[in-house]
Amino acid sequence: MQTTKQKETSFLSVKNLSVEYTSDDEVIHAVNHVSFDLQKGKTFGLVGETGAGKTTIAKAILRILPQPPARIKSGEIFFEGEELLGLTEEKMRKIRGNRISMIFQDPMTALNPIMRVGTQIAEAVRLHENCSRVQSVEKAIEMLEMVGIPGERQREFPHQFSGGMKQRVVIAMALACNPHLLLADEPTTALDVTIQAQVLDMINELKRKNNTSMIMITHDLGVVAQACDDVAVVYAGEIVELGTKEQIFTAPSHPYTLGLFGSLPDIHSDSQRLYPIEGLPPDPSNLPQGCSFHPRCPYATRACGDRQAALADLGDRHLCRCINLEQIQKGGKKP
Amino acid sequence: MGNQTKTVEERTRKESNFRQILHRLQKNKIAMTGLFTIIILIVVAIFAPILMPYDYTEMDMSNMYAKPSLSHFFGCDDLGRDIFSRLLYGARASLSMGIIATLLSTAIGVVIGSAVGYYGGWIDNVVMRVLDIVQAIPGMLLAIAISAALGSGFFNTIMALSIGGIPMTVRLLRGSILSIRNQEYIEAAEKINCSKPRVILKHILPNSIAPLIVSVTMGIGNTILTAASLSYIGLGIQPPMPEWGAMLSAGKTVITRYPHLCVFPGLCIMIVVLAFNMLGDGLRDALDPKLKN
Amino acid sequence: MTLLEVKNLKKYFETPKGTLHAVDDVSFTIEKGKTLGVVGESGCGKSTLGRTIIHLLESSSGQIIFDGEDITHVNKKKLHQINENMQIVFQDPYASLNPRQTVEETVAEPLLISGRFRKKSDLEDETGRLMDLVGIDRRLRLAYPHELDGGRRQRVGIARALSLNPQFIVCDEPVSALDVSIQAQVLNLLQDLQAKQDLTYMFVTHDLSVVRHISHDICVMYLGQIVESSPSKELFTAPLHPYTKALLSAIPSTDIYAPHKRIPLKGEITSPINPKPGCRFALRCPHACEKCSTPQTVEELLPNHFVACCRGKELNQL
Repeated sequence: MQTTKQKETSFLSVKNLSVEYTSDDEVIHAVNHVSFDLQKGKTFGLVGETGAGKTTIAKAILRILPQPPARIKSGEIFFEGEELLGLTEEKMRKIRGNRISMIFQDPMTALNPIMRVGTQIAEAVRLHENCSRVQSVEKAIEMLEMVGIPGERQREFPHQFSGGMKQRVVIAMALACNPHLLLADEPTTALDVTIQAQVLDMINELKRKNNTSMIMITHDLGVVAQACDDVAVVYAGEIVELGTKEQIFTAPSHPYTLGLFGSLPDIHSDSQRLYPIEGLPPDPSNLPQGCSFHPRCPYATRACGDRQAALADLGDRHLCRCINLEQIQKGGKKP
Repeated sequence: MGNQTKTVEERTRKESNFRQILHRLQKNKIAMTGLFTIIILIVVAIFAPILMPYDYTEMDMSNMYAKPSLSHFFGCDDLGRDIFSRLLYGARASLSMGIIATLLSTAIGVVIGSAVGYYGGWIDNVVMRVLDIVQAIPGMLLAIAISAALGSGFFNTIMALSIGGIPMTVRLLRGSILSIRNQEYIEAAEKINCSKPRVILKHILPNSIAPLIVSVTMGIGNTILTAASLSYIGLGIQPPMPEWGAMLSAGKTVITRYPHLCVFPGLCIMIVVLAFNMLGDGLRDALDPKLKN
Repeated sequence: MTLLEVKNLKKYFETPKGTLHAVDDVSFTIEKGKTLGVVGESGCGKSTLGRTIIHLLESSSGQIIFDGEDITHVNKKKLHQINENMQIVFQDPYASLNPRQTVEETVAEPLLISGRFRKKSDLEDETGRLMDLVGIDRRLRLAYPHELDGGRRQRVGIARALSLNPQFIVCDEPVSALDVSIQAQVLNLLQDLQAKQDLTYMFVTHDLSVVRHISHDICVMYLGQIVESSPSKELFTAPLHPYTKALLSAIPSTDIYAPHKRIPLKGEITSPINPKPGCRFALRCPHACEKCSTPQTVEELLPNHFVACCRGKELNQL
């Protein structure tokens, strides 16, 4: 599909990534043969529910997975031409926080409670840029102003900020060194809806100004619609559908994607009943044979339990992992 | 959870927490070593009269200070008594004092701690301040003072040993209770018309007992050490009743010439305290389900 | 018929920094068999409101009238009766179940305490019936909470709430902690139970999309006060209070082609401690004026649609 030349010049290219966790007696297949590309300046959405493996993918890119119990079984990650999984820890440390940065989900635990926020941001700056303490504090103040927090507040401690402001501090910290790639793991899930809107707007604005590329992990399709350019739907550690935002929202194809859209309570709809996906997410230490989704799939056929489907191209690089696509589309959408 | 769900659905009897905890404990080799050592010591203590090769009072002046040999495994003390037999019998005093005193202070501590933790208010304040005063006195000194006041002997020593342990148990349990008192399942229990005693017994205690179990096992080791120390300085249990601390004391004047009088009692004390600590550590890990990977 | 009537309910907390006005002069009624949705962001007092109504917290002033009876102040015996009529489903499926009790023990406990089921077999039958009602496999009765997923735990909580046959249930964010696909299952369950058992709900949530599906009427709270209340659909088609409008506009829409005008709000949510008189939203409101610092009256701007805003009529051209 892509030529070797394109592979090398893609901003971020994840190839065939597989990660497993081993605990005493079981092996958890957290990520299974995941591949995707991200173009510079774009936002890539990873959508899925708890346990789908999205955070593991992000942590694998940043190489902050605790190994053990995690183990990167296979795969390559190309970032601006360099293969990340093969780098030494020393080289990786230069990239982490500097060219690739991450925002975690819970702002309460992402900040050190006994350090002033200005100091925390300045510390990040000093680690990666050659500057004096005074200069790093100036940069910290500049970052705080950029996220809408008055500069004088840099002397305050995290507990003096509200949840939304804490998350903004976290974002300021992540963007302090002008990263080329920002990994955002459910950055607004813990926030009130009006604050979420503010923070999303801010992230988009900063992204636009600095041409930062972003991977946005979320379970909220509304957030995806607002913030992402390309989307991958993740289920049981695999990508089951991949495409542009337009393709996924106007022509969702995989039964899981269809199920997700169908189970969403919609403020514009009058219908009284929701259509949940039957059953429960699978046990990652005991995945079903064949397609991981087939036990819950209303369109499943016997063949689904026999073999794993490959990602098929529906046209225009809209990929979907399902062997029954034709039948589903012919038969029309099930309610 | 797939495998587990199968087992859970096939379950026909209530698989008590106890079995789950035991299962986790079994995987911890250090804890199991400690547990087996303790079991062996308890068995030895119970069957000491049968196991001892000599009577513990039997004196044989010709064997005064005899070195360890095949007939006297650990040698003889200053009165020709077989050290091995005295150690076996002494296990009774040491283990029983340690266990009984610790259990007594725990029982009292649990009653006070749960009342104070659940009801709070002025009772909480008054009781905690009284306990602050008790805790301000170093444990050893407190035990010495009470022991000296009551005199030596088995039951008096137990009293002296148990009082020192009460404040810590109360604090531990109170802390546990305070942290779960505002959990939603406690609110739910009140909402379904649970009486206050029932809330404490069925909801609060079972969930706050874990740190207590650990502190009890570690406490036994500590109490045995304190008991030995009391006997060492002449309080607590005195001869002819064998007690490891007293035996240690008896050997201190001749330690350079006949070290075996001190070495073997000392080793016993060390082994039992170590065994309880290893078990306590293992229990702490096994009891905390959240530590599971 | 009106099952629950709340009049001028207040719940204040004394803190070292001052008096926290968690619930401030709240009034509403709920008809039997219906659901009132209570919506708001953090700190608006919705959870406190729910807990105060069912006597988990004692109200500071005001009246609570249940089934025609004034239950604002009750003794222990009366509280026992009330608990059999008013129950609660909690938000956190992890914290609302005793980790050391099996599913069976949790569901059976209220039955045991009530003394209505003396024979063991009767107790087991009733427990089984409740489990069927909420959709938990009877074979899971010996499972512990940590062996179940969030959705199943929540069902256990619902079964426990139903065991005493209450008429009224406060649902305190019951699906917020669940995955999207499980949320839908539990919401459907709650609706089915309402129909089957003629239950009345007060559904507290911060999620506007969820509340639309399950509520007949909705009231919007901000910092302890109700700013708007109306029938469910109308809140979304014709929001009248500036806060409601801003709240609705903040929800990220899944319609990628409809450009969505977000109403930006200034600043952060202010503190409910020692609040100044007047509208508490004024500090952030794009339409604030001097009259906003005087206490706002609640006006019925449309049939059954109440708004607490001095500029309500004017801003909506009514």
